[in-house]
Amino acid sequence: MSDNDSTQTTGVLGRLNPITMPLRYKLGLVGLVLLGALPMFIDSTMALTFAGAYFFGVYAMSWDVVSGYTGQISFGHGLFFGVGGYTSALLNLGHGFDPLLSIPVGVVMAALAGIIIGVPALRLKGPYLSLVTLVAPLILVQIFIYRSDIFNGEQGLSGVDPLFGLNTFGDEAMFYYVAFGLFVFVLAVLWIVTRTDAGPVFTAIREDEDAVEAVGLSPAKFKIMAFVLSAAIGGLAGAMIVHTPNGNASPTTLLSITVNVEVIIAAILGGMGTIVGAAIGGVALILLRDQLSAVDLVVPLFDTPISDMDFLVFTLITFVLLFALPGGIIRWATGIGGWLTQRVRGEDPEIAADGGTKTPPEQVYENYTEELREILGGDDDDEH
Amino acid sequence: MSTETDHGEETDAVAANGSVSPDDGLLVLDEIRKEFGGLVAVDDLSFAVEEQEILGFIGPNGAGKSTTFNCVVGRFPPTSGTVYYKGEDVTGTNAHTMVQKGLARTFQEFRPFEDRTVLKNVSLALTPNRMFSMQGLRGKTKEKAAEICKRVGLGDRMHMTPDELPHAGLLRLELGRALATKPDLLLVDEPFAGLSGPEVESISDLLLELRDEGLTLVVVDHNMRGLLSLIDRGIVIQFGSMIAEGDPEAIKNDPTVQEAYLGGDEL
Ligand SMILES: Nc1ncnc2c1ncn2[C@@H]1O[C@H](COP(=O)(O)OP(=O)(O)OP(=O)(O)O)[C@@H](O)[C@H]1O
Ligand SMILES: [Mg+2]
Repeated sequence: MSDNDSTQTTGVLGRLNPITMPLRYKLGLVGLVLLGALPMFIDSTMALTFAGAYFFGVYAMSWDVVSGYTGQISFGHGLFFGVGGYTSALLNLGHGFDPLLSIPVGVVMAALAGIIIGVPALRLKGPYLSLVTLVAPLILVQIFIYRSDIFNGEQGLSGVDPLFGLNTFGDEAMFYYVAFGLFVFVLAVLWIVTRTDAGPVFTAIREDEDAVEAVGLSPAKFKIMAFVLSAAIGGLAGAMIVHTPNGNASPTTLLSITVNVEVIIAAILGGMGTIVGAAIGGVALILLRDQLSAVDLVVPLFDTPISDMDFLVFTLITFVLLFALPGGIIRWATGIGGWLTQRVRGEDPEIAADGGTKTPPEQVYENYTEELREILGGDDDDEH
Repeated sequence: MSTETDHGEETDAVAANGSVSPDDGLLVLDEIRKEFGGLVAVDDLSFAVEEQEILGFIGPNGAGKSTTFNCVVGRFPPTSGTVYYKGEDVTGTNAHTMVQKGLARTFQEFRPFEDRTVLKNVSLALTPNRMFSMQGLRGKTKEKAAEICKRVGLGDRMHMTPDELPHAGLLRLELGRALATKPDLLLVDEPFAGLSGPEVESISDLLLELRDEGLTLVVVDHNMRGLLSLIDRGIVIQFGSMIAEGDPEAIKNDPTVQEAYLGGDEL
């Protein structure tokens, strides 16, 4: 690796040099190492909670790579988790496939689902696409209920083999590492994909598709790639989780509306279009919910314990944070961090480096309102 | 109507009312028509662009210049008619494929990617249209992008975001991003609107340099300001049809053209 750049290190590899790497990467690596050592210090219940949090972090990352980056908002990412999870569970239960075999098949099926959703995405404007993604998992759930003989309806499938023949009771630390391994693997893959050539193209699609065309890149091709990648990763998480104590192949675990929406909340909270933000947001959301469930507070007006209202709580937090930190936690933290390091080094901190630029949620909101205005008529602009 | 230009053997680029053949030039428009609902924005327009010329494409506001461009570059297909590029029928080919064939455009309304620096705007145009590309890993792209930035006069503003650029800077960015796609033909949509005299001159010089390096250019404007010394030949359209064609002086003195501009814009 010969980096001959003066001001900043060139390319992705340059950024990974442990000596010259930016402070936030160092912090991230230290964080991962600490998480790797965590099972030594926590009990088995906590280990499983963390495992569940990692799975959710992967869900959120898989949403982020397509919706956060390209701005094609999916309201039903559970579809991909579901296809992956049910495929693997059915193959394992019905045909005796080992999870190590059935999980890859689940990934492939989820990737196919990604194509099925992604291809219409080429023709549909944002709001229509979102409608499709919203409805698709609902239809799937209906199929699961209608053919309860195969899918066992709302209960879902249980009794599948655990991964690597681990024991549900006793091997909690191992399940922790299974989930943690998946989390780190997906984080690495998506980090590389988004930090090499594809990432800037994805975000450019979010900004302005016509301009992407004008530089000779096919938005269709990259959108499909994002969908398939996202679906495959979502499917991988879904397929793996059904072979752990963290979930089974059921609508509640994999494709309920709550899952679909919480994935979005996690990614937006953490920082849409950053992968790392989604990862952190997903993990934090589950840990936070875990804390909430321990709170014995009963909300007076509704007469329900606060632990039953976590969904509402998250939605409220999201709205508040969307106004306070529209870029998400990770952008806010990097911003503060950059400002601080400049102060410490005695440089003049740049004031609001991203001053006039829109954050991804703002850009997507703008695209949507524009597209909705076009769809709902008003002007006779019938261009494409 | 036949006019000599300083670019050689132009015999019948636009012969008797729109009978053009695919090989009349680098780019040939044959009876291009574009309707929006009931509105005819481009009305059976035919002309050819010769290799390595700078063609002025002139017309009052709303004449159909940008719409003609959009039909050529594949932003939307024409209602009828044929577009030939390098002798090949490319009608309805999508925009990114046209760019890959060597036909680039700038946007009249400037459409930079607001979320990234000038350098990264240009780098994107250097990205290969491939799924898994690690080209960016080697830092070569960045070097090339920086070179292009310098070329279009943004060398000292590479690390700014578009919202920090003045109007002329945004035009330079449009040009840089288009040049990064290595075009053979560049369509420049109304570059001079809103520029000061010296800026017009400096952009003109850049375009002339590019032509000398082999680029063919079509430059749109709604008047002749800034075009006189730049273009080899001009085409004037009104209501989507051609009303004059010839060298700059001839166009300027053309009675139809003068009438078209009467009471409206100054030519
Ligand atoms: N997408 C569209 N839908 C409907 N009408 C359109 C569309 N684009 C352009 N028009 C109409 O077509 C006509 C030609 O517009 P066009 O933008 O091509 O003109 P122009 O010559 O580029 O003008 P200007 O000098 O203002 O840029 C105008 O009447 C315009 O209103
Ligand atoms: Mg125009």
